[in-house]
Amino acid sequence: MSFETFVTDKTGLQKFYEAIIEKNETYAPVEKFGNFDFKRITRLSECNPESPIEKTRSIKPLFFPRSAKVMKYVATSAGTEIAETDKDPLAGKRVIIGAKHCDARALQVLDKVYSWDYIDTDFRNRRQNTVIVSTRCDKAAIHCFCTSLDYDVETLDAMDVLIVNGIDGKIYIRAKTEKGNAFLKNFPTIHDSQLPENEAAPALKAQYEAFAATFRLQMNYREVNEKLSKVFDSPEFESLSSNCISCNTCAFVCPTCHCFKISDEKVKDTGVRYKSYDSCNNGYFTLMAGGHNPRPAKYRRWRQRALHKFVYYKERFGENLCVGCGKCTFACPVNISIFEVVNQVSDTAM
Amino acid sequence: MEQLLVPMICKIDKIIQETPDIRTYRLKFKEEGRMEKFSWMPGQFIEFSFLGSGECTFCIASSSTRKESFDCSIKRAGIVTADIHSGLDEGDEVGIRGPYGNWFPLNDLKGKNLLFVGGGIGLAPLRSLIQYCIDNRNDYKDFTILYGARSSADMCYKDEIKEWQANKGLRVVLTIDKAEETWKSNVGVVPKILEEVVKPVIENTKVITCGPPIMIKYTIQSLLKLGFADKDIITTLEMKMQCGIGKCGRCNIGSTYVCKDGPVFTNEQLKLLPDEF
Repeated sequence: MSFETFVTDKTGLQKFYEAIIEKNETYAPVEKFGNFDFKRITRLSECNPESPIEKTRSIKPLFFPRSAKVMKYVATSAGTEIAETDKDPLAGKRVIIGAKHCDARALQVLDKVYSWDYIDTDFRNRRQNTVIVSTRCDKAAIHCFCTSLDYDVETLDAMDVLIVNGIDGKIYIRAKTEKGNAFLKNFPTIHDSQLPENEAAPALKAQYEAFAATFRLQMNYREVNEKLSKVFDSPEFESLSSNCISCNTCAFVCPTCHCFKISDEKVKDTGVRYKSYDSCNNGYFTLMAGGHNPRPAKYRRWRQRALHKFVYYKERFGENLCVGCGKCTFACPVNISIFEVVNQVSDTAM
Repeated sequence: MEQLLVPMICKIDKIIQETPDIRTYRLKFKEEGRMEKFSWMPGQFIEFSFLGSGECTFCIASSSTRKESFDCSIKRAGIVTADIHSGLDEGDEVGIRGPYGNWFPLNDLKGKNLLFVGGGIGLAPLRSLIQYCIDNRNDYKDFTILYGARSSADMCYKDEIKEWQANKGLRVVLTIDKAEETWKSNVGVVPKILEEVVKPVIENTKVITCGPPIMIKYTIQSLLKLGFADKDIITTLEMKMQCGIGKCGRCNIGSTYVCKDGPVFTNEQLKLLPDEF
């Protein structure tokens, strides 16, 4: 389904953002110590919707918080009461501006695991109540490879509203979903500048082609999926992961990693149970009481990470559990690149 | 928040010291009428919270045909289980989520000879099915239980085993690893007793086995040697789990979620998994 496209300029876009922020609970990339994280804002000046991709955290924590309270409880000799949990701070109607395409795509990938069998209603509600406004990148960063994966960055509909900085200097705004279409109707100043499809389409395409030409990294994901499924015993996993310090940063910044742990903290009678990010790179991740650990070696944990992303999740849910955003590689303190790992291991396949 | 992970409160009705390091906790829901609504199948598991210490995965060790309560048999093996043993008394309250996971293939077992092969705490998940099958005895043919433990003191469910031995419809074979003066029964590891004493009928028999990983490994080897088909060997896997509902990513073996696709698998299914469990 295609929706109308509107055209504006830098001032018009700024006014559009300001109108969004004025009317909505809005989240946007806010700079701190040189990096950008999505925070609640009340003024456009607090944020940079075009923050550089390599310095911007994903929007995942707005849907799957880094650490969330499962519940509070009071446990005494008189009995145990599970106290009212706080109202979900992420469940209200809200808008995200400045989301990157890859991060928006990651939510589509996560929808699969959160909605099979047991439905995570918290995740679903947060998704349903959020309008995502995403600006297409103009240039790939050094570790980006989104155009090499199993989604079409050009026609992606993971965002509700798409913004494109045309190579002609004009700015194009287009709804990508029904939700986004309805949302744009709230902004009559934008709505006055409708562009016929025969003018909009070539402008968007030209920008995409210029953007797509800037990628250093390219691969054939089908080949990688196919080959990786045959290299479980490849010794390359060991050599490629030998530098890993098991810090788990890659998983914590990844927009698709979704492993978590459940932990209790109790002081005197009152306790809190948390659901927090965890990672398959942790040595204790699969360690069982009694000492048995199916993945006792670092290379096995790295293999799990690589194969979960490019083989297992694909088998199970039909998508790669990687969107090619490069965040893990930008953040890795020992310069391990998932792109290099999966491609180099694939090369060992017969 | 995080609605899927909030447990319900159960009261510990009774604690039975099975062995020096295994206790059975008999549980009932605190909320009036909840116990009647709680139903489970043999082989399913629950997430058991000792609030303040943590949450652990345990199989339900009793059958839903005996519904006034349910049992978890817990071996002291790690941090939370040690806390459970030292910190929980009868009358105390715990959190329960579940039941989760698949169950033993009851339809496939109907009309078959049943051979249960258990070791140590591995009898716990089998006990749920054994009770279920005893309560529906007419649905099954020969009914054999082989149970082994390190020593006679390490045998779980001693009183219930006496009931099984007294039941003319069951054949019970017990073994311990090393001879003891007062022990009159078999001595030797489970696979050896399976081959030399039990000598099972292969035809029309389903084997259900659970125990320490090393016992399961050698038991399956023996069963295959005796001529059993992979599809007739059923086991239940132990993997680290946390959510129990196919989300947290901990129990994955390849694209299989042990918490959802398992924990019960046939050997035919296990052979297709990457060797990582």
